Amino acid sequence: MAPTLLTVAEASREIAEGRLSPVALTEAYLERIDALDGELHSYVTVLRDEAVMAARELAAGRSRGVLHGIPIGLKDIYKTRGVRTTAGSRRYLDHIPEEDAESWVKLRDAGAVLLGKQETHEYAIGGPDFTLPFPPARNPWNTAHYPAGSSSGSAVAVAAGLCAAAMGSDTGGSIRGPAAYNGIVGLKPTYGRVSRRGVFPLSYTLDHCGPLTRTVEDCAIMMQALAAYDPHDPASADVPVPDYRAALTKRLDRLRIGVIRHFHERDAVAHFGADSAPSAAYIAAFDDACRVLESLGARLVDLQLSPLIDYVDANRLIMLAEAYALHETDFRERPHLFGHHMFARIALGAFLSAADYVEAVRQRRELCLEFARALADVDIAISANSTGPAPRIDAISTYSTFERASYTGPYNLTGSPALSVPIGFENGLPLAFQIAGKPFDEAGVMRVGYAFEQATEFHRRRPPLAASLPQHQ
Amino acid sequence: MTEEVISPERFAILVEQAGLRLTPEQFEELRQAYPLVERMARTVRRPRDRAAEPAHIFVQPKE
Repeated sequence: MAPTLLTVAEASREIAEGRLSPVALTEAYLERIDALDGELHSYVTVLRDEAVMAARELAAGRSRGVLHGIPIGLKDIYKTRGVRTTAGSRRYLDHIPEEDAESWVKLRDAGAVLLGKQETHEYAIGGPDFTLPFPPARNPWNTAHYPAGSSSGSAVAVAAGLCAAAMGSDTGGSIRGPAAYNGIVGLKPTYGRVSRRGVFPLSYTLDHCGPLTRTVEDCAIMMQALAAYDPHDPASADVPVPDYRAALTKRLDRLRIGVIRHFHERDAVAHFGADSAPSAAYIAAFDDACRVLESLGARLVDLQLSPLIDYVDANRLIMLAEAYALHETDFRERPHLFGHHMFARIALGAFLSAADYVEAVRQRRELCLEFARALADVDIAISANSTGPAPRIDAISTYSTFERASYTGPYNLTGSPALSVPIGFENGLPLAFQIAGKPFDEAGVMRVGYAFEQATEFHRRRPPLAASLPQHQ
Repeated sequence: MTEEVISPERFAILVEQAGLRLTPEQFEELRQAYPLVERMARTVRRPRDRAAEPAHIFVQPKE
């Protein structure tokens, strides 16, 4: 098997046992990037020489940690010392940070090799935007289709085998949406679990950093390196970190899972219109996924929460208000630097009142309590992710991000850990659901995702592009 | 989800209050999208007890 098709867990084992060198693995990824990224546009900066040099140093030394010799990518909102970090914007087109994002420091200390910086929607919200210097990333399952965003490049690169794992950010679904459309795993950890220091903010109280991987086990490995208290991130939480891989099991006997069906079965169309209707294939895939969880020993019960729109609109309102405040000076003094989508979306925040914002954060508190009470009687909750396959990239309108139902936003609002896992395909494009948990129970969320993954084959399918990859030996 | 769009005159006041300088195209695009903001603001407004405050809790740094 080509080394770039190995999971993080498999590659780590090969490296540890001396059958694969970090240099060969890094070079294989660089070769693949050269072969495929002209079409996929998942990277904005490839660090060829730096990556090979780092891999050589790792190959010559003793094991650094759980990611020893593993080539990864970072969404281009993660600051990297001495390496251009653009946030997908004209404003920071030539920005060379003097510091590293704390989460990148954690990954590097665990032995990761940085292959490059990956395409992002402008400031993690304004895309896909064809007016900006960086072409939007394309879905590797069908390059005419949208890979979702805003962690587009990171998800595309992982799915297409252009890195072993990557880091994204998630304010309303920007890790889990791309994970769903690209057929990979994406985790938004609990708010406060992974440091956001050194990552361009979008919305202070909703931003989360997390990994995108091909499997849940790889996600657990990444989280082992990432989860830590950071006294310099004002929202960081000092909570013990468990052994995530040790928590992964193939059975879910006696686990109680709450299923939030009304979000996609009733609320989406009722409050967001017919365009938000789930596809028949999605409903069937979701129901099949529930049956798989039952076959693994879990007991499923329906959970009833407030309507989806209560969560989604509070999340969007807070995001708009905080993002506009963050960029207000640029909106007034240099609006010409924004791409079309970023300007058109975030300028709406200028028209919100202070009372609107306060009411939204009061509602957030109520919904956090509601979700906590709902989870008191179960161990885990599951709900839909994007309820159909990726649309064509040229069909994404400026405001579709605010017009349509979002199934990811509720967990940004509550700060809960939420994992996206593939559950099927429709027209050759991936489908996914979400597994959400109690605060800081990433281990429980990944346990369910792992058991589901081991019982199904969806994560083993790779995009058709994989077949045209160079077979590096 | 058809909603009535704010008049150009009323929207111009909001734009001026915000201190934005918009091209005619930006003005019209934002005006047409403004009902989305109105919907969000409407969704979060509901009768609440005065004691229903947002959580505002911080862990003090150890160092």
